[in-house]
Amino acid sequence: MKINEFIQQVKNNQVDIIEHTHKVIEECKKINHEYNYFNFISEELALKQANEIKKSIKNNDKSIKNKKLLGVAISVKDSICVKGVESTAGSRILKGYKPLFNATVIEKVIEEGGIVIGKTSQDEFGFGAFSTNVGLGFKIPKNPFDKERSCGGSSGGAAGLSQKLNNHIALGESTGGSIVEPSSFCGVYGLCPTYGLVSRYGLMDFGNSLDKIGPIGKGIQDAALLMGTIAGNDKNDSTSLNSDHIDYQSLLKEPVKGMKIGIIKESFGKGIEKEVDKAVRKGIEKLEDEGVITEEISLELPIKYGIATYYMIATSEASTNLAKYCGMRYGKSDKLEGNFNEYFTKVRSENFTEEAKRRIMLGTFARMAGYRDAFYLKAAKVRTIMINEYKKSFKNFDALISPTAPMLPPKLSEIEKLTPLQNYLADVMTVSPNVAGLPHLNVPVGNSNGLPVGMLLTGDHLQERKLLQLGSVFDRN
Amino acid sequence: MKNFTADIVIGLEIHVELNTKTKLFCGCPTKGNEEPNTRTCVTCLGMPGSKPVLNKKAVEFALKLCLALGCEISPELIFSRKSYFYPDMAKNYQISQYEIPLGKKGKLKLKEGKEVGITRVHMEEDPASLVHPAGMKDSAYVLVDYNRSGNPLAEIVTEPDLESPEETRDFMKQLITVLEYLEIFDVNSGIIKADANISIKESGYTRVEIKNITGFKEIESALVYELNRQIGEAKNHRTIHHETRSWDSESGVTFSLRKKETEEDYGYIIDSDLTVVEIKNEWINKIKKGMPELAQDKVKNFVSNYRIKKEDAEIIAADKEMAKMFESVAKQVDANLAAKWIRRELVRVLNYNKKELNETGVNEKHIIALLKLIQNKKITDNIGQQIIEKLVENPFDVNEYVKKEKLEAVSDVSELEKYCREAIAENPNAVEDYRKGEAKALNFIVGSVMKKTKGKATPKEVNEIILKLIKL
Repeated sequence: MKINEFIQQVKNNQVDIIEHTHKVIEECKKINHEYNYFNFISEELALKQANEIKKSIKNNDKSIKNKKLLGVAISVKDSICVKGVESTAGSRILKGYKPLFNATVIEKVIEEGGIVIGKTSQDEFGFGAFSTNVGLGFKIPKNPFDKERSCGGSSGGAAGLSQKLNNHIALGESTGGSIVEPSSFCGVYGLCPTYGLVSRYGLMDFGNSLDKIGPIGKGIQDAALLMGTIAGNDKNDSTSLNSDHIDYQSLLKEPVKGMKIGIIKESFGKGIEKEVDKAVRKGIEKLEDEGVITEEISLELPIKYGIATYYMIATSEASTNLAKYCGMRYGKSDKLEGNFNEYFTKVRSENFTEEAKRRIMLGTFARMAGYRDAFYLKAAKVRTIMINEYKKSFKNFDALISPTAPMLPPKLSEIEKLTPLQNYLADVMTVSPNVAGLPHLNVPVGNSNGLPVGMLLTGDHLQERKLLQLGSVFDRN
Repeated sequence: MKNFTADIVIGLEIHVELNTKTKLFCGCPTKGNEEPNTRTCVTCLGMPGSKPVLNKKAVEFALKLCLALGCEISPELIFSRKSYFYPDMAKNYQISQYEIPLGKKGKLKLKEGKEVGITRVHMEEDPASLVHPAGMKDSAYVLVDYNRSGNPLAEIVTEPDLESPEETRDFMKQLITVLEYLEIFDVNSGIIKADANISIKESGYTRVEIKNITGFKEIESALVYELNRQIGEAKNHRTIHHETRSWDSESGVTFSLRKKETEEDYGYIIDSDLTVVEIKNEWINKIKKGMPELAQDKVKNFVSNYRIKKEDAEIIAADKEMAKMFESVAKQVDANLAAKWIRRELVRVLNYNKKELNETGVNEKHIIALLKLIQNKKITDNIGQQIIEKLVENPFDVNEYVKKEKLEAVSDVSELEKYCREAIAENPNAVEDYRKGEAKALNFIVGSVMKKTKGKATPKEVNEIILKLIKL
C-alpha cells in the first residue's frame, strides 16, 4: 500500500489508528530484537499521539483533512531531540538525557499527524560510515539483507528500519554522507537536502556547517512526502534558508525527458567494486531510456580533496560541539572529585568511544595556533573552491551521477580490520556534495547477490525536486 | 611590539555589559528575577541541539560604541568560537569575535587631552557566574548561576598607551562617560570589568596581567598595588615573572594565578551556527543619526551657547547627569552662576562624600531653587554651601528648609548695623589695631558679625558697614 493511500484510510477512519500503532510498536520491537535499529522505542509518546488522532477523527475535526502525515510512523535518528524522550546521539555520555524541547522537524512532524515511534541507532554523534562506531553500551545495527553485514552509517538504524517497516518514514541526518550511504546499503531512498533547507534546531551538532536533516523512505513517495513536511525557514536556526514551499510529491510525476546529467568520470573504475559499477551504469541506461541526456564529466578536485577537506572541517567543528558534554549539566555524570578539569576529563574519558576521542583530538589539533592556517583555514578555502567547481558544472547539468558507495555492504568482520583511514575512504563519493551543501539522493538501482546497490544523484542548491523527479523513474510501481 | 620608553606601561582589556533587554543569542531577559537560574533557556544553558540567534539591538549598541570611539567598522560581523573548558561556560566555548573585530583603530581622549589608542572593539557573550559559597579561596565547591550566561558584552582593547594608575582611572572614567551618554550601559547596575597589563621600565617591561578588576574606582587601587609590588621586586633584584595575577578587592592585593610560559590557545574557529551579518553603510548612517551629543560635543555647546568657562564645561560634561542638570538649571538662572555652583560646590561636596550625582537623589529642582535664592540675594553664599552639603546627604525642599531654619540673609541694614555696633563694642582692641594700620584686624570684626548672624549676612556688606561705623 502506498503511503498516500494509507494516510487516506486513516483520515476516513478505515484504519483504527490506535490498534495500528500498537501493531507498529510490536513490530518495531520484533525488528529491533533482530536488527538493533532502535536506541529507544517511544511507545508511550506514539500511543498518546495515536489517541489524540483518534479523538480528532471521532470529533470530525476539520484540521484532520489537511494533515500530511496522518498516522504515519516516523522514526527519528537519535541525534535529533524529541521532548521528554531519551535522546543520546548514540553516546553513553548522554545516557538518560531527555530533551526539554522538540527539534523543529519533530514539531512539524507532530503538527502534520506523524507518529514518533522512537530513536534510531547510529554511530556515536555520527562518527562513522558503517554504524559500527556506536557508543559504549549500544548495539550495532545489522543489514536488513544480511545480518553479517553493515547497514551503513551513520543513519544506519534509520535506513535499515525503512527497508523493514511499512507505512513508515525515517528522519535521518547527514554530515558527510550519513543519509545516502546507509540508504544505499539498505536499498532505500535517502534524500540529503541543501544545507539550510531544513532547520537544524534541535539537532545535536556534529559539524554544524555540514549537518543536514533529511528523509529516508522505502519508496520515493515517502522521501518526497517527508521532505515537503520538514523543509522551510525557522527563526530558531540562523542558518535556515528562506525558501518557497514546494509540494515535492506532486512533482514526482513530471517527465524527466530532456534533463541533462553529468556522469562523474572519476567515480567509476578504479577502487569501485565491479558489481557496483555495473548496477549504476544500468541505472544510467534506464534514465537514458526515459530521454535523459547524459555526458561524462571530470570533477577531479572534489573527488581528490573531498575527504581531506571534509575531515578537517568536520572534526574541527565536532571538537568544539562536543566540548559541552562534560558531565555537568546533563547526561552522564560521575562522583564529584578533584577539580573541574579532572572531573571533566574523567567523564569524557570514560564515556566517549575511541573514535569520538580520535575525532576530538584531530579537530582540536587542526584548529590550534600554528596549525589552523595549514589545516582548518586551508580546508575552508578549499571548500569554497569545491563549491565553485560544482556550481560551474550545474550551469550545464541538472544533476550529477556517481555510485553512492564504492562497495557493496561490507561484512562487519571485514570492517573491524579496516584502519581509520580506510574507514574514512568509504565516504569518498558522498563527502564532497556534503562539503558543498548540495542536495543528494540515493536511488536503489539494482542488486548483486541479494545486496542492494545505490546510485547517487547530486543537484544544485535547492534543486531537490529535480533529484526526486529523476529518482521516481526507479520507483514507478 | 612597540619600543617603550615610559616608566610605566599599561594596556587594558575592558568588558562592558551592554544594557539590551534580552541576551545576545536568545530571548531571555538580561535583568529581572535574581533567583539563580531563572532567566535561562536551552540556548543560554547550552543544551544539545539549541542554536544561537543574534540580537540585532546588541549589534546596534556595539556599533554606537565603535562610532563614539572613532573606530573603523568592519563591513561584516563574524562570530567565532573561543574554546576552553571552564565550569562557567555553558558550551565550553564562548561565542566571541576573533580575526575581524566589529571595530578597530579607534581612540579615546583623556581629561588632559591625551589620546589613548583603541586596538579593537568586539562583541561576545558573557559566561555564567560562579558563586563561591565560602569565598574564592576557601570554598570546597562552587555553584553556577546561568542568569548572566549569554548577556551581551563589548570588549574594548586599548593600546599600551597608559602611563600611570591615575591616567588609567581617568581612561575608565572617560569610557564610562561615553557609555553613559550612549545609553548602552547601565551605570548603576551594569558590570564593567577590566583586565590590565602593566609593566615597568626596571624589569625591561615584563608584562603582568591582572584579571578581575570590577569598576573604575578599583582599577586605580589594583594598579597602584601592583605597581608598588613590581617596583619593590625590582629594587630587591627579584625577578618579575610574566604571569597572570588576580585582584582581590577585599584584601586589596593581587595574587598569582598562573605563570605564562606560553600564550593560551583557544583554537578559534568560525561559529557557523551564526550567519555573517553585513554591516551596510545605510545601517551605520541610521545609527549615526540617532547618536546623542557626546561629552566632548557638550563642552563646545556649553562654551559657545552658555558662555561658560571651558574648564567648567569639561567638568560638568564629564557626568551625563550633571550636564543634564546644568542644561535645565542654566535655563532658569544665570548660566555662569549655575556653572560655578555645579562645578565648584556640588562637585566639591560629591567628591568629599565619595558619591556620584545619581546616587544622591539631588536633582535640578533642588539646584534651581537654591540658585534662585542665591541669585536674588535671599541667602548668602555661605548658607548656600551649607545647604548643598546637607542636600547631598539627604535631599529636601530647599525653600521650605530655608524658611523653617530661618536662613534668609539679613538684608535689613538697620539690623545689620546693630550687629556691627555690637561687634565693634565688643572688640575695642581689634578696632584700635585697624586704626593703627593693621588691615587684617577688620576681618576679625567681620567674622564676629558673621558668627552673630549665623552666616546669614554677606561679608562684603558687613565689611562696608563696619568701615563706615569705624570712620564715624
